[in-house]
Amino acid sequence: MFGFVKGLAVTISQLPKKKVTIQYPDVRPEWPERFRGIHELIPERCIVCGQCARICPTSCISLSGTRGEDRKLRLDTFDISFEICILCDLCTEVCPTEAIKMTGEFELAAYSRDELYKNMEWLYDNYIRHDGVRELEAAGEPRAVPEKAGERGE
Amino acid sequence: MADIRTEEMLMNVGPQHPSTHGVLRVVVKLDGETIIDADPVIGYLHRGTEKLAEDLQYNQIIPYTDRMDYLAAMLNNYALVHAVEEAMDLEIPERAEYLRVIVMELNRIASHLLFIGTYLLDLGAMSPFLYVFQDRERIVQMFNEICGARLTYNYMRIGGVKWDAPPGWIDKVKAFVPHVRKTMGMLDDLVTGNEIFLNRVKGIGAYDADTAIAHSLSGINLRCTGLKWDLRRNRPYSIYDRFDFDIPVGENGDCYDRYILHLKEMEQSLRIVEQACDQIPDGPVMGKAPKFVRPPAGEYFSAIEGARGELGVYFVSDGKDKPYRLKFRRPSFLNLQLLPSLLKGQNMANLIAILGAVDIVLGEVDC
Amino acid sequence: MIAFFSWVHQALTWGTVLKMVAGALIVLFFLLGAVTYMLYFERKVIGWMQLRIGPNRVGPLGLFQSFADILKLLAKEDIVPAEADKPLFLIAPIVAFIPSFAVMAVIPWTASHVFTADIAVALLYYLALSSITIVGIMLGGWASNNKYSLIGGMRSAAQMISYEIPLGMSLLGVILLAGSLNIVDIVEAQRRFMWFVVPQFLGFCVFIVAATAELNRTPFDLPEAESELVAGYHTEYSGFRFAFYMLAEYLYVFAISCLGATLFFGGWSGPLLPGWLWFAIKVTAFIFFFFWLRATMPRIRVDQLMSFSWKFLLPLALVNIVLTSIIKYWVNAG
Repeated sequence: MFGFVKGLAVTISQLPKKKVTIQYPDVRPEWPERFRGIHELIPERCIVCGQCARICPTSCISLSGTRGEDRKLRLDTFDISFEICILCDLCTEVCPTEAIKMTGEFELAAYSRDELYKNMEWLYDNYIRHDGVRELEAAGEPRAVPEKAGERGE
Repeated sequence: MADIRTEEMLMNVGPQHPSTHGVLRVVVKLDGETIIDADPVIGYLHRGTEKLAEDLQYNQIIPYTDRMDYLAAMLNNYALVHAVEEAMDLEIPERAEYLRVIVMELNRIASHLLFIGTYLLDLGAMSPFLYVFQDRERIVQMFNEICGARLTYNYMRIGGVKWDAPPGWIDKVKAFVPHVRKTMGMLDDLVTGNEIFLNRVKGIGAYDADTAIAHSLSGINLRCTGLKWDLRRNRPYSIYDRFDFDIPVGENGDCYDRYILHLKEMEQSLRIVEQACDQIPDGPVMGKAPKFVRPPAGEYFSAIEGARGELGVYFVSDGKDKPYRLKFRRPSFLNLQLLPSLLKGQNMANLIAILGAVDIVLGEVDC
Repeated sequence: MIAFFSWVHQALTWGTVLKMVAGALIVLFFLLGAVTYMLYFERKVIGWMQLRIGPNRVGPLGLFQSFADILKLLAKEDIVPAEADKPLFLIAPIVAFIPSFAVMAVIPWTASHVFTADIAVALLYYLALSSITIVGIMLGGWASNNKYSLIGGMRSAAQMISYEIPLGMSLLGVILLAGSLNIVDIVEAQRRFMWFVVPQFLGFCVFIVAATAELNRTPFDLPEAESELVAGYHTEYSGFRFAFYMLAEYLYVFAISCLGATLFFGGWSGPLLPGWLWFAIKVTAFIFFFFWLRATMPRIRVDQLMSFSWKFLLPLALVNIVLTSIIKYWVNAG
């Protein structure tokens, strides 16, 4: 009898405890190093081997390249459709030159489906915004960082 | 007065309904508030995972398994890689096996915690849902640290696991275990003793072991009838034979037993996690697996104890790097079979209590 | 000020009618404000108990959240389902809502009866008016022509009727002790004697259970059990008609809290502090208790609910009445 009194004691004992809510748009969550967010791409590193496109389970990556004068393949286009990308990380796993990596960016809401189709420029900007900031500064090469996602190359 | 004309009412519960746990639809025929007939309609979340898998390499299928039982994705990962590894007779490094066991048991705890939260939410108690979510959140954060995702882990690979644990992770898991015990004690105080709750679940939706076997139920839905059947014990796989844990069973096979078994199983999972954290050796986490996984031609079946029951993977290989046919034995789907016969003659309010206690995940039912 | 509004003892002229209307309007707006902040208080308290922070975006500390919600509801389209019984559908929320305001007429805010009616059969008036709301709820459930609404409405009618009887019975003990149906007399009796919660503890227990059920609040919130019936009787309602139902529900929480504080905890009486403050403290404690219950309890099942009322609560209330009468007779005789 009166087991519910114990329950009442539990709920009221929570009253003064510290609250766990993160006020999201104001306070951003801290993601660990390995977090699998939206991709970033460094076109100079890419050797157009196409492994990422082949391993992708949803075939959301398409890329093309041409052979330059020095007989090396250069990346011309690289598109990821985030409508169908499942952020599984397999493309970055197979990439031999670490040209494609994943960032801590996770906000993909958009007003139209077309906006979710990200091209090479956007992905490079994403690199500048994330890992690029650190790497370029370390190399003594400061560069204007694009303010918002999708500012260049829709 | 004798011949008042009454009508039966056909009511649609779902697919958009607050407590059908996703997009399950139950068409119930009601006489007043008594259910005369119930007909679950499934398929609203069908994505054709099995058919898609025929076009994918074995490693590519792993992210798809994440999306079946999305509350226990680690166990799904393991079911697939375990089946392929058995087919190819691969050697798995010790450390990888331990890491797998730790994440699987943590995932089982997370899944059971969520079951308790949502079940009580269905029964009208709001707070337990938010209490259990704190502990689940900590588990999810730890998974985020080890594999970079909170829900769809894609952590295991054929031959090992993708990442080693980050520094300090094992200690974090160890420190986390007492927290879950505390939460479980709190749940006991808050819910298990509550008379209203007991009245709603005791003796409701009871069935015996024969019925359970006839409907090929598994997991807690089977063990609540008193049958001691847990694949971790009865057909040991991975390194489960090294740990000391019990298989809790119920007595009456009612909703209360199913609820309390979830709590008891969490305790056993905690014991496994503790032992695994103490025993874990150093070493590599990825064994020698060929780049293109080509199991020898033939049929293979292997099953593990998932969070909801026996999670089996059957596949036919024709020697290529893609399966000829892949079939998942999804426990949620099979556990749902008993629902219509359980619901017949019950009160409308019991529909929620019975359906919730079956613990289905629609991603797995529809696959 | 007080003399201006004490129209009860004046002759009925146009002037006093005007004063009556002004008094009623003041109470109306006060109640709207009270209900608005009760909503805010509920969400904050339940949020804190669940380790959340509750509303905090609109205004400082989220203080304007309820205003925003109400404004949103008022601005929304008033949707009438095509197959609904239109006149009934339109009138039902009003039928449910008006008695909830009317019952507030007999609640004594302070010792001097400002704004409110000092009528001799106040308790009877309260019980009689509050049962009209059931009609509104049942009509709403029926007129929506929705199966969830229908079941919700029927459950609601069955529940409120069965719990009204123990509620009334539990008040009988208080009436016996005070010897009056007038709420002011009851408070005065408590000032002379002691808070009735002590001699009427059994009656108080029955009262609090029956009141929770009467209010359709957790653990007796079956009519709107969202996990079974989506939203119960107001599934099809939107905009300000939905707001009427919500207002009625929360006004009754307020009214029952006022009644409980008056009948069992001595109303405005108390040492040191002014009467209205004592009253506010007691009412707030009652309201907090209802919210606390809501944060803790699962929902009771519908068949158990009925048997609980008829087989347990009602006999208990009857035993209470008999005991009270015997004790009163014995005390008077002795």
